[in-house]
Amino acid sequence: MLGVCQLVPGPNIINLAVCVGSRYAGIRGALAAILGLILGPIAIVILLGLLYDHYSYMPMVQGMLRGVSAVGIGLVASTGFKMMRTELSYPPMLIVTLLILIAALYFKLGLGWVVLITLPIALYLAWKKATRA
Amino acid sequence: MLSPFVDTLISLFIKFSALSFLAFGGVNALLPALYELSVTQSHWVTAQTFADYFAIANAAPGPNFLTITLIGWHVGGILGALISTIAISWPSSVIIYFVQRHINNMQDLRKQKTVQYAAAGLAVGLVLASAWEIALHLDHSIAAYLLTIGVVAITFFTRVHPLYLIGLGAILGLLGLV
Repeated sequence: MLGVCQLVPGPNIINLAVCVGSRYAGIRGALAAILGLILGPIAIVILLGLLYDHYSYMPMVQGMLRGVSAVGIGLVASTGFKMMRTELSYPPMLIVTLLILIAALYFKLGLGWVVLITLPIALYLAWKKATRA
Repeated sequence: MLSPFVDTLISLFIKFSALSFLAFGGVNALLPALYELSVTQSHWVTAQTFADYFAIANAAPGPNFLTITLIGWHVGGILGALISTIAISWPSSVIIYFVQRHINNMQDLRKQKTVQYAAAGLAVGLVLASAWEIALHLDHSIAAYLLTIGVVAITFFTRVHPLYLIGLGAILGLLGLV
């Protein structure tokens, strides 16, 4: 079920909340799960935003944020590499990865175009993967 | 005539909603498109503020859409933060609500798997491309690139909790090394 929750576009955590919430209590459950998950973090991050407004002029704060942002990018990349590891069970799917990288980084196509072009190929390979003996 | 403030809120809602439909692979895959929209096109935040909000969102406990929450807050206060968060979430919530019912009812297991495999296959490339592009936007020194690459290596070979790495980044930055 978690797999299904992650396949749709959007923030994964929200999709998960919808899946679990709706399973136990329908649409109302889904809404409750979403609110429960996001209200706390929103409040905290706004507080941090307020602090940022007051202290971002300080070189120390600026340096700290530069460091954290560099780490954050690394964490994003590492989720990509971890997902790639699981794709190794069916290497042809890596063609899709390669095509996306070429379309996005070399031809600089927007996200919409990249998805549109590579989706049919991904579906074709996924069908092969699902029906292999 | 709508006031400029209401105009801005509507614009936040529509543009982030549109973005949400493309977020295969989650918000991580969206970052360059988010940068393009909020910095280059709409001038909601400067490149520097975007980078700092990305850092704050990473340090804060909670989901990874908080960069969007902060951008919304910057443009439209608390209302802006709420509207932006809802905008990035609702399209996928509606889709998933129906898709999971549909998929769970699917008789043909192969079709079910096909959809899942395809989505997973797309996500890998999208997230990696996103990381590359956003690094070009946000990493401004060789030290920053090295730190990014180091984090990738560490997380690939060990199981260190991300929070320690974020702490490490903060300390290195505090010392003026990044």
